[in-house]
Order: sequence, then C-alpha cells, then structure tokens
Amino acid sequence: MQASRARLFKEYKEVQREKVADPDIQLVCDDSNIFKWTALIKGPSETPYEGGVFQLAFAVPEQYPLQPPQVRFLTKIFHPNVHFKTGEICLDILKNAWSPAWTLQSVCRAIIALMAHPEPDSPLNCDSGNLLRAGDIRGYQSMARMYTRLAAMPKKG
Amino acid sequence: METVSQSPSVMMAEDRSSTEPSSDPNPCPICLASVVEESYLDQCFHKFCFNCIVRWTSIVASKRSCAPSSFKCPLCKTENFSIIYGYDGTSFQQHYIGRSVRNRSDFFSEAHRYRLKCYYSDPGNLADKLQVSRYWKFRKYLQQNHFLPNWLRREIQALMQEEDVDIIMHHVVGVIDSLRRNWLKNSRNSTETAQKEFRLSVSEAARPFLTGRTERFVNESELFLASGLNIDAFDKAYTEHLGWKIPGIEHDEPLEHIPAVPYLYILDEDSDGDGN
Repeated sequence: MQASRARLFKEYKEVQREKVADPDIQLVCDDSNIFKWTALIKGPSETPYEGGVFQLAFAVPEQYPLQPPQVRFLTKIFHPNVHFKTGEICLDILKNAWSPAWTLQSVCRAIIALMAHPEPDSPLNCDSGNLLRAGDIRGYQSMARMYTRLAAMPKKG
Repeated sequence: METVSQSPSVMMAEDRSSTEPSSDPNPCPICLASVVEESYLDQCFHKFCFNCIVRWTSIVASKRSCAPSSFKCPLCKTENFSIIYGYDGTSFQQHYIGRSVRNRSDFFSEAHRYRLKCYYSDPGNLADKLQVSRYWKFRKYLQQNHFLPNWLRREIQALMQEEDVDIIMHHVVGVIDSLRRNWLKNSRNSTETAQKEFRLSVSEAARPFLTGRTERFVNESELFLASGLNIDAFDKAYTEHLGWKIPGIEHDEPLEHIPAVPYLYILDEDSDGDGN
C-alpha cells in the first residue's frame, strides 16, 4: 500500500514535468484519491480516431505496480479491442503481459498504439472485429469515424 | 563563458530539481525511486532494488502452477534465472527464483565464501604454478582423483548457494569418469584433444546449473585436478597465491606438522590463549 502510494506519487511528479513533452496525453490524478486517475488521449493521426479526444479511467490496485491498473474508455469508441458498452480494453499488457516497468503514462501510449493498430482476432467488439476480418476496411473506418465525431469531438456551437 | 548570462531563477530551479531524489537518472524501474540494495538480473544485467525485484518474481511465481526456474526481465523480457545482489567489490550473493529468500544456512562456511570470492579474482599465473600443462602432457588425467567429488560438491554449493547439490556433483563426476574411461580405451588420443574434450564436456554438464560462471568453473576444476592436491592443500596453495588470509585455512603451520599435533592445535585456538 505504502509502496504503491510512493510510486504513484513519483509518477504524479513525472507527469507534471512531462506535460509539455507529450501533447497527446493528459493524465490527471483525482483530487482526493491517488488510486483514481483519468487521462485524455488524442486519437492518433491517419486513423478514424483522428481529431477525437478520448477519456480513460484508471483504477489502480493497492499492489500496483506488481499488478496492472484497470483501464477503460469512458468515451464511446468503435474499436475491435474495446467493449462498446463498458469501455473495457483487451490489451495483453493490462493482463498477463503486465510488467511493473510500465507506468500510467506508458500505458496511455500503449493504448494509443492499440487504437492505430487494432487486433481483430481477439475482439471485444465483434461488429468492429468482423468488419476488419472480412476485409471491409472502409466500413470499419466510417463506423469508427462516425462514433469519433459523435462521442469524442467537442460539440460546436 | 556565455552561459553565465543565464538567469539566476532558472539556475536555482535546476539546482532544486537535481537534489530531489526523484531526479535520480537511473531509478529502479519498479518503484521509480533510487535503487536500494542494488540487484542485477543474471542474464540481461538490468538493475532493480532487491526487494522490488524479489517481490515481482514471487508474484510471477505465484501465477504459475509449478515453481518456475526462470522469469522475464520487466524491462527487456529476457529470461533470467537469478538475482545477483550484495556485491561488495569481491563477492556477491545470488537469489534463485522459486526459492525462499536468504536461506543461506550453516553449510555455507568460510571456505565456501573464499571459493565464491575466487570467481571474482584473477587467478594470475596459478595455472603455471600448479603445472596444468604437465597434467595433460604426462597424461596424469588417466588417474582417478578421489578428492574430486568432495571438491566439486563444495564448489557447486559455493556457486549456487544451495546445500543439496549432490545430483549436479554426481553428474559432473560421471561425465569426467566416462571421459577417463574413453581415454584409457583409446590411448592413442592426443593430449590436446583430451584437454579440449574435458573442457567441452564439463562445461556442457555444468552450464544449465552454473550459467554465466561455467567457463570459470571449468578452469577451476581443471586447476584442481591438475594440482593433484587434496582440498586443504589446494586451498592453501590458492589463497597463498592470491595473498588472502582466510580463517579456517591455515598458512603459518607447515603442512607436515599438522598430523603431529592436531588436537593440541585446535585446543589452542578455542582456549583463551593463555595456554602453551
């Protein structure tokens, strides 16, 4: 418990320092609870998520970093490896391939990489996975782009 | 210099950040703080705090059904077998994954410690002193060395920091014995091939257990065999050569005197020193 707190505090300080360095990620710690974080990540360019800003919720376990944080999308996203309703993410480093050398910041980077490189063979969102597996790149991209517009872009006016 | 014009407030900010512990340029990847009790993985040599990496390996072990003998480095995913820690310039300790921590018990004597230390010291021209080349040249390797099993047991115990190493010891002895039987059968074998065969077979037999220390172990085994000495005499020659004083290994007493007054000598050491 003490160890996870100390480590999260280090990460907090590191985030404050690095804020300028990585404009695609904005990590914020909950005011009252250092085990609750949220992140805003920018959809990677040249993907249907470009232009969108996606919110992630982190729940950090007490055994962190020996156990991975639980991360889910709060913003709706159409992606083969993200559950459409719950926002749950299927990513090996958040499960059995976790290593304590990952940080919340680097997990965000991994999620951005996952957005740009979906893995349709282990889908949490079958509709999205099936489109990609059937080779319907256009169908997948237009669906993903539509949900990006609907859910991840600031409303104009 | 031009940089003097830098504003004082910037300089101070830099100063402050450099004195903070978090600005350690090479922190432990697990706790992100300065490394406490430097420990290295035996294959990739990545550095962690001892407690951090041991806790991580025990988490890894608890997730598998049977105790694993290796684990992946959290940084580079290289398979490692042990954690090297407590390095003090001459010796170190080693923790193998899947075993309880720091269980080094009574079996680990000063002699074990001295043997372990040898692996971190340059033996210099000891091979010449002990006449290793004569050993091969005059085919002394055809004779069995009865001290070998005990010597090997202590050596492997020292390297693995594990008491029960008899299986490995018998394995290595068996390999050397079968080599000798082959050499006896084919007496036309050149002595160079014999030496090569010895080095190759022993390192093959020991490598799965001794990993990075195998080469040196083969050297040391060759030294011991070639010396033709028993364990005590070998230790004496070795430590004298390196100029070490090891408690339990006597230097001042000439060898031939020991059998004459063995018990008196031991009593002298244990008593208050006021006797004769």
